[in-house]
Amino acid sequence: MSKLSKPQLTALIIILGVAVILVVNWYKESLISAFQKGISARAKGQLNAPIQIIEYIDFQCPACARGSKFLKKCFQKYSDKFYLEVKNYPLAMHPHSFLSARYAQCAAKQKKFWPFHDLIIDRQDQWKNLANAVPAFQKIAQDSQMDIKNLEVCLQDKKIEETIVAEKEDGASRGVQSTPTYFINGKIVVGYKLLEEELVNLFKQGGYGELVCYD
Amino acid sequence: MVNLFVMIRVMLGALFIFSGFMKLTSPYQNFLYVVQSYEILMSPFDGWVARLFPWLEFFIGIFLVLGLWLEWALYGTLIMCTVFIVVVGQAMMRQLPITECGCFGEKFSLPLPTMLVVDNLVWILTAVSLMKLPKTSQRSLDQYFVSGHS
Repeated sequence: MSKLSKPQLTALIIILGVAVILVVNWYKESLISAFQKGISARAKGQLNAPIQIIEYIDFQCPACARGSKFLKKCFQKYSDKFYLEVKNYPLAMHPHSFLSARYAQCAAKQKKFWPFHDLIIDRQDQWKNLANAVPAFQKIAQDSQMDIKNLEVCLQDKKIEETIVAEKEDGASRGVQSTPTYFINGKIVVGYKLLEEELVNLFKQGGYGELVCYD
Repeated sequence: MVNLFVMIRVMLGALFIFSGFMKLTSPYQNFLYVVQSYEILMSPFDGWVARLFPWLEFFIGIFLVLGLWLEWALYGTLIMCTVFIVVVGQAMMRQLPITECGCFGEKFSLPLPTMLVVDNLVWILTAVSLMKLPKTSQRSLDQYFVSGHS
């Protein structure tokens, strides 16, 4: 090192620092497998649609509710353009998020995921600040036409919990840190604002006209 | 005996390296989301900050630990902390819902008041380190180069 000048050493440290980051990122990317699509009861749209969205959601997150409502409107208007699959990413900071994910997973087992999803999102303001959200979730389950007896059994099922945890870990390995996080045609997009920007851009690029997903 | 100022320097550096490393090794969109949540910068400036800022953090941290260009690194730390304090302070005043949704990464999410205390503490430690630069510079590469040329 005695032969290196201070600027040379500085340049060496910067090069090494950049190299370390690049290698770590390359290694992390090499561990990520491609999404397996079309295997979830939490998917809707056409598998070959031009805009493919994987959404990591926490049902108690206000930004997720905003994003979900926006996507619902987009689906209603441009159903042939989208494929959407919802994955669980319950955040520890939200007391009801894991339980809501359990209910949603049980709804998916009964093929009632989307009615349940839409209601739990629409009614988020009614249950997110409750000390006990179970009665609210039960009511949503009933209103989603779920079989309540099966639901009770399902909620006790350890496999449901394991599925949610595994999905969250998978999301974390793909770089998900917060919700809502979307993978739109493979590109990671975090938050509602960027979701809207990305979809507007894709619509322009695809020549589908102007994206309008509002009332 | 271990010099307290050197310990502070290394700890501050380690904190910045860790913070920068975590951001640089996750998709930049996560930090972009954080930057956007403060509602200060417009596009495309928010994107530039989200890309550049973690690198600054990372290398300032390395330079602090190694004690290379130490005075500049400490001034850089001071400026960054001042920016943090202003940005967090305005978010608190505007009551922005920053703590929602794991905006700082789920494992490192802090409430804004706690963040403000941490930022102020780091600012004070950095300012003290600058005031006591001769002591902070001990066991540093800067000192090695000075002694090597004398």
